[in-house]
Amino acid sequence: MSQLRITGGSVYDPANDIDGDVRDICIEDGRIVTSLPDSAPRLDARAMVVMPGGVDMHCHVASATVNVARRLLPEEHARHPATAPSLDDPAEVPRSGAAGTVPTTFTTGYRYAGLGYTTVFDAAVAPIMARTAHSQLDDTPIVDGGFFALLGNDDYLLRLIDSGDRERAREYAAWVLGATGAYAIKIVNPAGVELWKRGTKERTNLDTTLGSSRVTPRAILETLVDSANTLKLPHAAHIHCNNLGLPGNSETTLATMAALDGRRAHFTHLQFHSYGTSPDGRWRSAAREIVEYVNAHENVSGDVGQVMFGSATTLTADAPVEYLLHKSSGRKWANVDIELETGCGVVPHEYRDRNAVAALQWAIGLELFLLSGDPWRLVLSTDHPNGGSFMSYPELIRLLMDRAHRDVQIARVEQRLLTGSALADGLAREYSMREIAIITRAGPARLLGLRNKGHLGVGADADLTVYAPHDNRATMFSTPRYVVKGGVLVVEEGQLRRAPAGHRLHVRPPFEQSVARDIERFFDSYGTVRYANYPVAALRDSPLPVGAR
Amino acid sequence: MTHPSVIENATCLGCGCTCDDIDVVVASGRIVEARNACQLGLRWFGDGQVPSNIRVDGADVTAEQAVSSAAARLCEADRPLVYIAPGLSCESQREAVAVADLLRARLDSVTTWTALPFTLASQEHGHASATLGEVRNRADVLVFWGIDLAERYPRFAARYAPNPPGTHVPDGRQSRTVIAVDVGSATATIDADVRVAVEPADELATLTALEAITRSPDARHHASLPDRAWVVARELALALLSARYIGLVYDAEPDDRSERTTVRFEALVSLAQALNDRTRCAALALRAGGNRSGADSILVAQTGYPCAVDFARGYPRYDPHASALRDPGAYGTDAVLVLGDPTGLPSEVSRTLAAHDTVAIGPRASTMTLGERCVVIDTGVDGIHASGTALRTDDVPLPLRASLGGPRSTAETIRGVALGIRRLLLLDRAAASAESAALGT
Repeated sequence: MSQLRITGGSVYDPANDIDGDVRDICIEDGRIVTSLPDSAPRLDARAMVVMPGGVDMHCHVASATVNVARRLLPEEHARHPATAPSLDDPAEVPRSGAAGTVPTTFTTGYRYAGLGYTTVFDAAVAPIMARTAHSQLDDTPIVDGGFFALLGNDDYLLRLIDSGDRERAREYAAWVLGATGAYAIKIVNPAGVELWKRGTKERTNLDTTLGSSRVTPRAILETLVDSANTLKLPHAAHIHCNNLGLPGNSETTLATMAALDGRRAHFTHLQFHSYGTSPDGRWRSAAREIVEYVNAHENVSGDVGQVMFGSATTLTADAPVEYLLHKSSGRKWANVDIELETGCGVVPHEYRDRNAVAALQWAIGLELFLLSGDPWRLVLSTDHPNGGSFMSYPELIRLLMDRAHRDVQIARVEQRLLTGSALADGLAREYSMREIAIITRAGPARLLGLRNKGHLGVGADADLTVYAPHDNRATMFSTPRYVVKGGVLVVEEGQLRRAPAGHRLHVRPPFEQSVARDIERFFDSYGTVRYANYPVAALRDSPLPVGAR
Repeated sequence: MTHPSVIENATCLGCGCTCDDIDVVVASGRIVEARNACQLGLRWFGDGQVPSNIRVDGADVTAEQAVSSAAARLCEADRPLVYIAPGLSCESQREAVAVADLLRARLDSVTTWTALPFTLASQEHGHASATLGEVRNRADVLVFWGIDLAERYPRFAARYAPNPPGTHVPDGRQSRTVIAVDVGSATATIDADVRVAVEPADELATLTALEAITRSPDARHHASLPDRAWVVARELALALLSARYIGLVYDAEPDDRSERTTVRFEALVSLAQALNDRTRCAALALRAGGNRSGADSILVAQTGYPCAVDFARGYPRYDPHASALRDPGAYGTDAVLVLGDPTGLPSEVSRTLAAHDTVAIGPRASTMTLGERCVVIDTGVDGIHASGTALRTDDVPLPLRASLGGPRSTAETIRGVALGIRRLLLLDRAAASAESAALGT
């Protein structure tokens, strides 16, 4: 029986309304418990800040697409070697790797844990590539993890929508989640990826038709959002809207939110979808319109997808976006059309503070944070590695908590497109420690429907981080003093010491068998993988319950 | 003879097509039939019988003794080389990389020998590609560029393209235009609608002219390219630029053919990308058998590089231009760990590897001709005796099914060596710190 009492720390546990109170946290066998005998081992956290372990609800760390990016970046890996940590357990093989914007698997796990993150979701996995995602998650130690399955451009679903059979579409979605070991439904540029595969490069709107007048982004969104909600999945449908990255796309984003009219839905990397155009046709911030909609609608949640200056790698199922980026930036480009399901595109990118569009993107992200009325519903992400690396989260936290620091940064960036932006006009807000705990842990855990994560109440998973306070919040959040994962002390005195395997978070909702038989017929007609070979093998962790919301 | 049993939907590693529709019939502990398999598949499945020798320096030992000898000898070496031969599941490959990392070894695979020019070209430029099923379902124009499908990828035409119908090509072969480009003796073995011949010396010029026309339809003859390149390019462009979706199929590792340069693959990669300005195009660079794509993918995920990795500094470095095999002396290689099926190695590679103190672990490891000082552990074949995962040439992952019981598992054996090495390294570390404590430092 393993026990640990963390004593005397200032605890920020917003889910349990604890806001910096000094108290002990008791851990037994990987869970938070009410009390422990006095003889239990202790960890002195006096004068330190204790929070639940970080939860990243949207990043790209374990997928075939991530590997396309890794393969494309030998020169970046060469600049960012990562030596193996010194681990105590002889049964754990410490692994070296490469860092940079798209770190190798083991390095990814070590570095997330080194930042105090203990739960991580890859936000976009093509169902046919699920085995690869699981294999990479198996090699991403410490963190608990899972992924979202890409739906919304898949041929079988589009056929069901064309035939008006949305109930069967729901059953199909349930089958996909179970067959691939996924956690949630991800929608990327609904219809737009399929249009790209058909040779269309124009932007879409909600009523753009795909072959049939019944198949539109609107119909796809309604179908899949309703599926997630009817199946009572722990997480809402996770939506990457149409027209990502294009000026004027805020209209699409707002129209999408309005189309879903009261349904529970999560809108991801909103920064990339909050671009307006000014009367003279130039880019402008539409952050205020977007965030005001989110503030006013309880059914809507989002993550920001902040842009951070420096190197990034854009990688997405939204393949047409990558084609456009390749054409405009001239950087190298990888594209993989993925049969019957989705796309994949990768282009390395650089966000420069003297580049007007990059400066605008950076400002829009901050505006979304600073104008947000509810930190529980608008949480932190950089869409790693699209807007920047997860390693930049501490600097992002500093920008949110420290206005003086932020103002210095604002003054440095290219101002050309910032006219009229709320940020340039001076937003005084500074995030509190409690709010940071919400947008990096408690909020994402709640949005994901993870009952045992993101808080330190009795029964919760013993995932927590102990920080030494520092005036420079980036310093504080980049170097946790201790990290506990599942009751195991993985970071001690700032050093990674243990790297146990994480758990797999996935769901397996029930579905009608008649749908499975029909899917098998579809595979026989058009697939290149046998139906029997499509589902992943049994995962080492049981699925999480559905319908428990 | 016992009643035969059938293992349905087994996956074949005979070539990179990785067909997963093989019904393996087993009777009396042998594979007696592999239904649907082509000649490469029949050879790969065989009768499922493999040797099960475990030897150290020629003497039979237990598996535990061999694993611990292997760990000890590899730890003693200053510059070990870990070589991933074909024939390992992704699970075994993952363990192989761990061993190389622990040993601070060089890590290489057959990719460096056979597919490096393509690999470097796609790293330099990226690539416009697709999974095989996308080409099956969409491609209305297919170009087979100097690829010998019949010999190297026998079921490609029947399973992927051009024969099967697809969602956007309902009449299969009849819905498509098939173009065969023969490059010297590299004949594109396919029943083609259009066939053109290109001399190897003109191949690069032809690809360059074709890309020029693609990027600018009124591209003028350029004096630096021969007229015949322009003639062929214009003929090809006519068909390509009227396509909805082009499948451009070539061999990423044209074994035993004339040397193919990185520049040649850059031209193929760049052409496919350019065609996407005018229509849609996916290039398929096909890989041979034994889960080679899997090895690349596992190395990329764990080290950041697909092949030719050196861990000597305690982290992976990419060293693709100086193969440890081509010039083993330059690296001071003093021990080699060969993982996988040595019968899948080019003979020159096999000979070079065997010239060192060697540990060979894998199916048929004992068939390798080795020096006196060697550790040999025969294991089962991943996909015949052990389950696991393999990647198709397009990186689509597929399950490997075990049809037979057999020798010990490759992945577990390699894992055993890794943990043995880990223990020895920890002992070394403990001894070093005890020594420095005794010296009062």
